[in-house]
Amino acid sequence: MKHKKKLTLFDGIVCLILIVFCATILYPLLHLLAVSFSIGFHITANDISIFPRGFTLESYFYFLENQSVIRAYGNSIVYTVVGVICNVLFTVLTAYPLSKSYLLGRSFIMKLILFTLFFSGGMIPTFLVVKETGLLDSMWSLIIPNLIWTVNLIIMINFFRSLPLSLYDAAELDGASDFTVFRTIAVPLSKASIASITLFYFMGHWNSYLIPILYLHDKAKFPLQVVLRSMLMEDQVEGLGQVVDISQLTPTGVKNAVIVLSMIPVLIVYPFVQKYFVTGVMVGSVKG
Amino acid sequence: MDGVVHAVHFLKGVLMVQRKKLQQPIGGQLDKKSTKHLACKLWNQRQLWLMLLPGLLFYLIYRYGPMFGLVISFKDYSPFLGVFESKWVGLEHFERFFSTPKFWELFRNTLTLGCLSLCISFPMTILFALILNEIRQKKAKKVFQTISYLPNFLSIVIVCSIFIDLFSVTHGTINKLIIQFGGAPIDFRAKPEWYYFIYITSELWAGLGSGAIIYLAALSGVDHTLYEAADLDGCSRIKKVWHVTLPSIMPTIITMFLLRVGNIIRIGADKTLLLYAPTTYEVADIFSSYVYRVGMGDHDYSFAAAVGMFESVLAALILVAANKGSKKLTGESLW
Repeated sequence: MKHKKKLTLFDGIVCLILIVFCATILYPLLHLLAVSFSIGFHITANDISIFPRGFTLESYFYFLENQSVIRAYGNSIVYTVVGVICNVLFTVLTAYPLSKSYLLGRSFIMKLILFTLFFSGGMIPTFLVVKETGLLDSMWSLIIPNLIWTVNLIIMINFFRSLPLSLYDAAELDGASDFTVFRTIAVPLSKASIASITLFYFMGHWNSYLIPILYLHDKAKFPLQVVLRSMLMEDQVEGLGQVVDISQLTPTGVKNAVIVLSMIPVLIVYPFVQKYFVTGVMVGSVKG
Repeated sequence: MDGVVHAVHFLKGVLMVQRKKLQQPIGGQLDKKSTKHLACKLWNQRQLWLMLLPGLLFYLIYRYGPMFGLVISFKDYSPFLGVFESKWVGLEHFERFFSTPKFWELFRNTLTLGCLSLCISFPMTILFALILNEIRQKKAKKVFQTISYLPNFLSIVIVCSIFIDLFSVTHGTINKLIIQFGGAPIDFRAKPEWYYFIYITSELWAGLGSGAIIYLAALSGVDHTLYEAADLDGCSRIKKVWHVTLPSIMPTIITMFLLRVGNIIRIGADKTLLLYAPTTYEVADIFSSYVYRVGMGDHDYSFAAAVGMFESVLAALILVAANKGSKKLTGESLW
């Protein structure tokens, strides 16, 4: 800047709007956190703002003693880890050949894939296909029917296409096979893009609830979001009610404790991955 | 099952791939090999094809399979007989659907929700991006932006839980404020007239920050000499936003608008299934949530598939029409 601009009224208003906006984003989250640490009496009395009242860890202890919630947490971790590995592996494997303009039938296959963005069979026929292929009520029903997200595939295809052709030419002169080039050149160079799609898949698996309630029936296999949903729908927690004192422990407190614990993995990765989130959204949209 | 925002990203991707195809000349590889026999070329590409095969199978089975599975909407599907053996009934399910008042209710609700989202969320996102762009301190801008898309990382169940608690009649913050100001508490969740309000505010809360990313990217590309020229002309900040910034990102705005219009009735069931209550079904029920209830709840697969097919076809037609209209009016096109 040649000359330092002084802060004007305009800057003040802009700043104020954004502070109010960020406060509305943060308030419900802080309130949720406060409720999860408060005793039932204050939750029922509705006098908690963003600081816990009658600090207690009861809601969290309830979580630790509740087998079904612990199991759901474990399920979510397994589904997410296995799911993301499969998703990323097959997305990258599929994207690489499709980034080669000389691949026979490339434009036809691309049309086939892009058409699925405009038209789909919908919920019920997809459910029947999942049922016919014998995946119903297994972990794989959450993974295989959504193995590749087309938007992530497109991100990867575009990235591979943006690599300079000369990189490939040199390797091909050395007699390297397609698979070797893919493994030693293309994948190492695309770490940032792979990180972006990994993040999208991670969020997709960790946060999904509709797909599990469609394809899973066995309660022991439910992931965390489905358990959270039933807490939300019934406004009560299984087993809670008859055994405990409502002035200490309430369904809302327990639900919020489970929410806080379910956000932990996301909040841990958030600072590290948010730049990949931004680049991923941009690569998937305006650039190209 | 993806929300509108995701559909938007999906379709933006299509646009980009199609453009690339036009720009990129056919690679040198083709010339080198064009003399060889077709089978020989295929053999040379065997490793590429091997890599492609699992993905291709996925698309054929789990994306095209359901499209052919739509035949059950013309049949009386019975799980015991299977898709092929079930009896053909022609258009019976469609006739049944169109003749019920439920059809108009779903149509009205889906369209209302889509229009509200288009008229409120879409301009608000642009406004938010413009406001954020006016912050001159880089650090402050980053902090605001990071906070703004934090809710995007929370699951839809958590977002809905937060909003149901916020508007709760017994322990909600909103009602606490109403009481403090001397009003009578309102049971927001049970009242149909408040349903859209809760739906749209939760959409804004969760999606404003991440929706703004696309516009911020476009804003960062605005030519700085334009601002300097405007400075010389003595333009105020607001005038600069109106005459320089906004026109500069107009192509992005038009494309995004087009996508929003094209996807206006493509609304996933996930949020509705969490937010609605039996007392608000009359305004809340949309095509996708109805398909879920009828199909998965009542196991009336054929009828649900017919409703779903109507929605899919209508959505595809709207998208094509929106694109045609835009091509005529503005010259902008998605593909």
